[in-house]
Amino acid sequence: MSKPSSALRVASALFVLALVGCTAPAPATPGPATPGPATPGPATPGPATPAGEAIVVGASLSLTGIFGATGIIHDIAGKQFVEQLNDEGGLLDRPVEWMVLDDESAAAGVADLYERLITQEEVDLLMGPYATPLILAALSVAERNGMVLPHHTSVHRPFMNYECQFPGWSIGPTPNEFVPNQLYDALESLPEPPQTIAFVTNETGSTGYVVHGQPDVDEPAALSIAEDRGMEVVADIRYTPSAEHTWDAVAAELASVEPDFVFMSTLGVDSLNLLNAMEQIGYRPPLAFSLFPAPGPLLGAGEVAEGHLSVSMFEPNEPILERMGPEVRAIVEEFESRAQAAGLPYTAFETQATGSWTAWEILAEGVRGAGSLDHEAICDYLLANGAETTFHGHLTFDPADGNYWPTTQGIKQIQDGDWVMVWPADSAAAPLVGPSN
Amino acid sequence: MARRGLALLLLAAAVLAAAAPLREVFGFPTFYLIFMATVFFWVAQSTSWNILSGYSGYFSFGQGAFFGVGAYATAVLMSRHDFDFIATLPVAGLVAVLIALAIGAVAFRLRSLRGEIFALLTLAVPFIIAPFVRVTPALDGGQGLRVPVPRQYVDLVGGFPEFIFLASLAIATLAVAIAYTAQHSRMGWALFAIRDAENVAEGLGVPTFRYKMLAISLNGFIAGLAGAVFAVQVGFLTVEGVFNLTVPLFVIVMSVLGGRSHWLGPALGALVIVSMRDRLAASGFEGWSLVILGLVLATLVLLAPEGLMARLLIRPRAASLVFAAVFLALAAYGGWGAPLDWLAVAMAAAAVVAFLPVSRRRLRQQEARLLADEAIAGPAEVQPVETEPAEVQPVEVQPAANLLAQPAPAPELGQPVIECLDVARSFGGVHALRGVSLTVREGELVGLVGPNGSGKTTLVNLISGAFAPTGGEIRILGRSTRAMPQHRMAHLGVARTYQIPRPFESMSVRDNVAVAIMFGRQPRSLAEARRLAAEHLELVGLSRLAGARPSEINLHERQLLEMARALAGRPRVLLLDEALAGLNPAEIDNATQVVRRIHQSGVTIVLVEHLLRVVNQLATRIVVLDQGLALADGAPQAVMSDPAVIQAYLGKGAHA
Amino acid sequence: MNLQLLLQVAVSGALAGGLFALMAMGLSLTWGMLRVINLAHFVMILLGAYLAYELSTAASIDPLLTLIVTVPVMFGAGAAIQWLFQASRISEFNSLLVSFGILIVVVQLITNYWTADFRQLEANLNPYVRQSLRLGELVLPLHHLLGFGFATGISVGGYLILERTVIGRALRAFAQDPAIAAAFGIDHNRLALLLAGAAGGTAAVAGTLWAIGNPLTPAQGFEWIGVVFAIVIIGGIGNVLGTLVAGALVLALYSVVSLVWSPSVAPLVVFSAIVVTLVLRPQGLFSRRGS
Repeated sequence: MSKPSSALRVASALFVLALVGCTAPAPATPGPATPGPATPGPATPGPATPAGEAIVVGASLSLTGIFGATGIIHDIAGKQFVEQLNDEGGLLDRPVEWMVLDDESAAAGVADLYERLITQEEVDLLMGPYATPLILAALSVAERNGMVLPHHTSVHRPFMNYECQFPGWSIGPTPNEFVPNQLYDALESLPEPPQTIAFVTNETGSTGYVVHGQPDVDEPAALSIAEDRGMEVVADIRYTPSAEHTWDAVAAELASVEPDFVFMSTLGVDSLNLLNAMEQIGYRPPLAFSLFPAPGPLLGAGEVAEGHLSVSMFEPNEPILERMGPEVRAIVEEFESRAQAAGLPYTAFETQATGSWTAWEILAEGVRGAGSLDHEAICDYLLANGAETTFHGHLTFDPADGNYWPTTQGIKQIQDGDWVMVWPADSAAAPLVGPSN
Repeated sequence: MARRGLALLLLAAAVLAAAAPLREVFGFPTFYLIFMATVFFWVAQSTSWNILSGYSGYFSFGQGAFFGVGAYATAVLMSRHDFDFIATLPVAGLVAVLIALAIGAVAFRLRSLRGEIFALLTLAVPFIIAPFVRVTPALDGGQGLRVPVPRQYVDLVGGFPEFIFLASLAIATLAVAIAYTAQHSRMGWALFAIRDAENVAEGLGVPTFRYKMLAISLNGFIAGLAGAVFAVQVGFLTVEGVFNLTVPLFVIVMSVLGGRSHWLGPALGALVIVSMRDRLAASGFEGWSLVILGLVLATLVLLAPEGLMARLLIRPRAASLVFAAVFLALAAYGGWGAPLDWLAVAMAAAAVVAFLPVSRRRLRQQEARLLADEAIAGPAEVQPVETEPAEVQPVEVQPAANLLAQPAPAPELGQPVIECLDVARSFGGVHALRGVSLTVREGELVGLVGPNGSGKTTLVNLISGAFAPTGGEIRILGRSTRAMPQHRMAHLGVARTYQIPRPFESMSVRDNVAVAIMFGRQPRSLAEARRLAAEHLELVGLSRLAGARPSEINLHERQLLEMARALAGRPRVLLLDEALAGLNPAEIDNATQVVRRIHQSGVTIVLVEHLLRVVNQLATRIVVLDQGLALADGAPQAVMSDPAVIQAYLGKGAHA
Repeated sequence: MNLQLLLQVAVSGALAGGLFALMAMGLSLTWGMLRVINLAHFVMILLGAYLAYELSTAASIDPLLTLIVTVPVMFGAGAAIQWLFQASRISEFNSLLVSFGILIVVVQLITNYWTADFRQLEANLNPYVRQSLRLGELVLPLHHLLGFGFATGISVGGYLILERTVIGRALRAFAQDPAIAAAFGIDHNRLALLLAGAAGGTAAVAGTLWAIGNPLTPAQGFEWIGVVFAIVIIGGIGNVLGTLVAGALVLALYSVVSLVWSPSVAPLVVFSAIVVTLVLRPQGLFSRRGS
C-alpha cells in the first residue's frame, strides 16, 4: 500500500477542494463564449442591439482533437456572424446568442451534446457541428426532435436524408460525379491535357465516396469517370486516416508509375506529407489535386505545392472581392483580423468559413421568413422559398436532392504561393496554369 | 447473502427504470435520460472490463475491440439486412465473445505470459480489426454506416431517449449483477487467487485457464451488448469513431479510479467521470475543462491509489449521509442550479468526507472489510494483530489426526505415489536434469539433497507439474501426467510449497488456506472451507494469525502458511522446497516438528533441503542429485557415508 | 514488382523507423528500469516539437539548434514527473493513470496556446524535409536519416552507459532487485531522476525531429501511442538496442505492405505480425533473458 508524502497529501487535498469549486455550475463562472441563457452574451450589446430575451442557437464544434484545426474556423466565423447579426437588429427583434460546446472531435459524444442543448439548455435553434460523422450524429438528434439543422460542411449526400437539414456547402446532389467532371473539364482546357492519372484515396467518409462511390452501390465516381473520359488509371492507392507511416511507400509507387496527374482524395495535411515524400525521392508530379486539404500548410510548403489544385466555394482573391462588393470585403477582412487575434497560422476566409457563413444565413433567413421560432415553419419556409446568401446568391432546396442546392463550387490553384480561383473560367480570378515542365 | 444482494440490485434497477415513465411527472428534461444512459454505457463497459482486468489482474486494452464488434454487428445487421434490434443483441454479444475467446486462447496458452504482453496483445487487436472492417464492403467499406432507429421499440416505450435509457440500464444492470455474482462465487476467489499468485493457484488446483477464459468471455459479452446499444444511440458508426483508444483508456481510468477490487468500484468511477465531464462541458470553461479533468484524475489517483470505493467504505455511513444531505438541501432550497449540479456538489462533498484523514486503526478495519472474504461473510470480526512477535511462539503439539485421517481410503503402504522414469529437462542449452529415475512410495519421507544447481528444484517443478519434462515420464499414483494441466496434478494429490513463500497477499491467512480447500481434491463451499481451514492452521500453529494479512506475518509464519495451504487440498504427496531456508535455529526446530507431524498423519513427503542435519532427522530415505543425475539413493546412513556423495558435496580434497 | 522499388521502400521505411524508435526509447527505459509507464512521455515529445517550432520560427534558426534549449527543458520535465511518482510511491499501473491525466492536461494546454490548427516550420528554415542523399540507385530522405542517426547514437550510447558505467550497472541492479541494490547502498532515487530526465531529453530530440518532418497538431500526442507501444514491447522493455531494431522493422514492414498490397491494410498486417511475434517470443524479439 503506497502512502503519499505529506506535502503531496496537502496538495491533493487542496485539489479535491478545487474539484468542488469546478463542479459548480455554469452561472457561477460564465465563460466568455457560452453564457447561460439568462446572462447577456459576448455579443456585447451595441447601440443597435435589440432588447428582449435572447434567441439561443446551440451547437457543438470540434475545438479540440483531430478536427480541431477546422473546428476553430467555424467557431470564429460563427461568432463573427452572430455579432454582425445583432448589430443589424438580431432576429425577430431579439438578440441572438450562440452556445458552443466542445465535442472533442468524438462523434460518440455529439448526440449527447445536442440532446443536452435541446432538452437541458433548451436552445431555440441548432447549428451543425464540423465533419461528416459528427454532423450525422447531430442530424439524428435534430430529426428525432423535429428541429431544423443547418450545417457547414457535410457533402456526403447519400446519408443526408432528413428534409430539414440544410447544407451550407453544396457540391450538388452527386459530388461523386460533379467534382471529377468539373476537374476533368478544367484539365481538358489545358494545351496538353493529362493522359495518365493516379488516385490516392483516404478510405473514409466523403473522400472515399468521391473516388469510388459507395461501397455497396454501383455508381460512377472519379475513378470510373476518368476511365470513361479516356484517361489511363495507373495507380489506385487507398489509405486509412492514420497513415503517417506510409507516405514514403506511396511516394515511391507514384514515382515509379509517373502519372501525368495525381488525384489526391485527401484530408488535412496528407497531401503535403505526400508531396514532401515525393520531393525527397526526387519526383514531382506535373500536376496534382487535393480534395479537402487543410489550406494553410500547403501554402507554407513553398515551391513544392506550386500549381497544386483543389476545390473551393470562395477565395478572397482581389478580382473576386472587387466583383462581389464592399460587403464581402468587410466580412473577409473582419474574419482575418479575428483569426489573427485567435492565433491561427492561416487566416484567409475561404471554403470552410464560407460554408459556415452560408449555413448561418440559411438559418437566419428561415427564422425571418417564418416569423417565428417554430421549426416546422422555418423548415417549410426554406423548402418553399429557398434562401438568399452573400456568397452563392439565391439557394433553392429540394428534399429529393437532400437539399443540396445547385453548386457554385469551383477549382482553385496555388499560384505564386496563394490560392487563386481558376475555374470555371467565367468566374475565375486567374486562368488555370498547366505543368511548367 | 449473494442472493439478497442481487435482489437489492434488481430493485435499484427497477426504481431507476421508473424514471423513464415518471420523467414528466417530476419535470426532468429528457437530457437526464440521455445523461443516465451515458453513465450506464460506461458502467457496463468499465464493470465488464473489471471482471477480467480488475479481478484477475490482466490489464486489457481490448475493450474497444469487444465494444466495436458488438456495435458493428448490430449496425450491419440492422442497416444492411433489416434485422430486428433485439435479434441483433445475441449476435453482438456472441461475436464479441468469439473475439474474446480467440484472444484468450492465444494469450492464456502462453507460458510465462506477463501482464504487459497481455496488455499489448489486446492493444493490437483493435488495430487489426479496424482495417479489416474498413476494407470489407460488406461490413463498412470505409464510409461509415447509418443505423436505423428501431421504431417499434422506441414507440413502445414512448420515445428514443426513453428507449436508450432503458436499454442501457438493462445492460448496466446485467453487468453489475454478473460482476457481483462473480465476486461472490468460486469464480471471484479463483480470479483473485490468479491475480495474487497465478502459478500457486494453479498448483493448488485452481483451473486458472478455464476461469480466465470465462472472465474474458464475460468481459466480451457485456461489452458487445453495450456496443449494440451504442450503435443505435449514435445512429452513425465509423471505424475510427469506434476502434480507437478512447474507450479502453477511459474504461481503465474509471475502473481504477473507482476501485478494482470491489464490484461496484468501476460503476462509481464511471459515474464520477461522466458527471464531471458533463458538468465541465456545461460550465463554459471551454479550453480548460480537459485541463481540470486531467488534473482531478491525476490527483485522485495519487490520493486514493486503491480507488474511491475503498475510501468511501472507510466512512460509508458518513459519506452517504453527507451526500444525501447536501443533495436534498440543494433540492429543497431549489434556487440554485439543476439536479445534475446538486448531484455533482453532493458527490464532491461525499468525496471530501471520504478523503478526511483516517486513523491507522480505522484504515486497517476497512482494509479487512475490503478483503474479498469479508465481502461475502459480511462485516465479520476483525482480529487485532500483533505484528512481529518478539520470539517464536512454541507450538503446542496436538495430534490433528482427526483432520488428516479423513483422506480417501489409504492405499496399501508401499504403493508408488511418484514414479519418475528417466526424466530430463533442459532450458535452452542447459541440461538441468539429464535422466533421473526415482520412485517414491506411500508413507515415505524422501529427502532430496544435492549441491546448488544439481537439479533439485527443477525436479520438484516437474513433479508438481509447473514444467513439463523434455524427456522421460512422470507418473502420479500410476497415472501418466503427460500433457496434464497442473491443477489436475493437484487434484491427483500433489501439493508443493515454494522456497520463497508466495501467499495470496489480498486474502487473510485463513482464506489463503480456505481457497486451497475450495479448489482442492474435494471441492468445498466457502463456509465449509473456512471451517476446515481453521483446523489446518491449528496443525501448523497459525490459528492466532488467522485474520492477519500475509504481509503482516514473519518469514517463518509465511513458510508455515505455505505448508498449511499445501496440506489444505488433502494431498497424497507433499513437496517441500527448502521450507526451512532463512530460519533461525529455534524456528527450524519448530518447523521440523511440524513436518514430522504432517508425515505421521499419513502424507508422503519429498523434502528438498540444504540442512543435512534436518534431513537426517526426518527422512526415511535420501536421494542425492548431482549435475542433473541421481548420484545416490538409499537409507540416510548409507547415503551419507557414500564417498561419491561426500566428494560431490565437499569437493575433491575432502576425501583425504 | 520492381525489386529496386521494393528495396527503396524497405530502406526508407526502416530509416523512418528511427524516429519512432527514438520516441519509444525513453518510454522503454523508464518502464524497464523504473517500473513506471509514463504516458506523459508522449506529451513531452509533442511539447518538444512545438517548442522547436516556436523557437526556430521566433529566432529564425535551424530547428536542430533549438535542441540546446529543449533538451534541458524536457530533462527537467522528465525528472519532475519521476519525482512526483517517487514522492507518491506509485504503483506501475497507477503511474499509467496519473501520466494519462498529465497527457490530457498538457495536450489541452498546447491546444489553448498554439490552437488546434496545423503548425509547420517555414520551408526556408527547414532544409531537411525535402532533401535526400543518394546511394547509387537508393534515395535516402534526409530527415529520416537524421532520425535514424539520432536514434542510433542515443541507443548505442544508452546501451554503453547501461553496460559499461557504474551508474548503468547500478540502474540495472535496481531494475532486477530493488531490495538488494538498496542493500549495496545504491541511491536509487537520484539515479531514477537522472534516468527519467534523460528519457525526457530523448523526447525533446524526437519532438524536434517530428517537427522537422511533419506539420504539427495537438491530437498527434494520442496518435503515436499504438505504434510506439508496439515498438517498446517488440524491442524488449528496457532494451535500447532492441527498440531501435524494432522501430526499423515495424516501419519497414508498414512501408513494404503499403507498397505490395495497400496502405489501408498495412496496420492489419503489421499488428498481426506483432501478435505472432509476441506469441512466439513473449519476452520481446531482442531480450536476452526471458522472465
